[in-house]
Amino acid sequence: MARVGVVVFPGSCDEADALGAANRTPGLSAEYLWHGDAGLNGVEAVVIPGGFSYGDYLRPGAIARFSPVMDAVAAFAREGGPVLGICNGFQVLCEAGLLPGALLPNAGLRFVCRQVPLTVERSDTQWTAACEPGEKLSIPVKHSVGRYFAPPQMLDELEAQGQVVLRYGAGGNPNGSLRDIAGVVNEQGNVLGLMPHPEHAVDPLEGSEDGAKLFASVARHLEAVPA
Amino acid sequence: MHVGRLIELDLDSDGQDAKAQVEQMCERLLANPLIESYEVQPAPGEAS
Repeated sequence: MARVGVVVFPGSCDEADALGAANRTPGLSAEYLWHGDAGLNGVEAVVIPGGFSYGDYLRPGAIARFSPVMDAVAAFAREGGPVLGICNGFQVLCEAGLLPGALLPNAGLRFVCRQVPLTVERSDTQWTAACEPGEKLSIPVKHSVGRYFAPPQMLDELEAQGQVVLRYGAGGNPNGSLRDIAGVVNEQGNVLGLMPHPEHAVDPLEGSEDGAKLFASVARHLEAVPA
Repeated sequence: MHVGRLIELDLDSDGQDAKAQVEQMCERLLANPLIESYEVQPAPGEAS
């Protein structure tokens, strides 16, 4: 069993679903990591869940990036360890400089909570290897600050380097994200951030099980790479 | 339309030290330079 750590900050709220989604994935066993811990307790993958870390004061993710556990996450990411940031976790990773770009308030200035269509642009990353290239996924979003932004030149670089991993499907961009970007990876390809919530789409009762594919992907990756 | 925030800081240092400190705070925490701009102004006559 590969061990997955789910980071909990004061104000996180999706850690239980992230833990559950990982635990129901064959080959994965999940545990919580506390924001005040200086280490990762030897886990082999890290999930930074959604929520409102430190109340999202100043900007979402701005304060969380300074928590002790984030130094360990940054070191882990530099060594190529798989890191997934979901929603607020995506915002934290951008603020920490582990992912390019930033998240701005939704174009409609309203909280959006609905199922969105996604297209898998790259199925060769640690977090999307269980998807087919170009596969369509249905996963929910729920956020106020989810409009992906980067300067035009940076966007061109991300596209050229294949760092756009997930895009909102036609007509399904819920927040005005530039170039319909829903998820990006770092240059190394091991850190993925996305606004949609795969951990809320892992059971038929939730209307979609497509989110489980991201967790299955990392399980496959960790099985292939000895700890 | 412009929406911003005003942050008042009391520092133990002054002059260039203070300016360097505040610039660093702005770059690392108070503003995200990718999406926000900022301006630093010393408050005159506030030294105590």
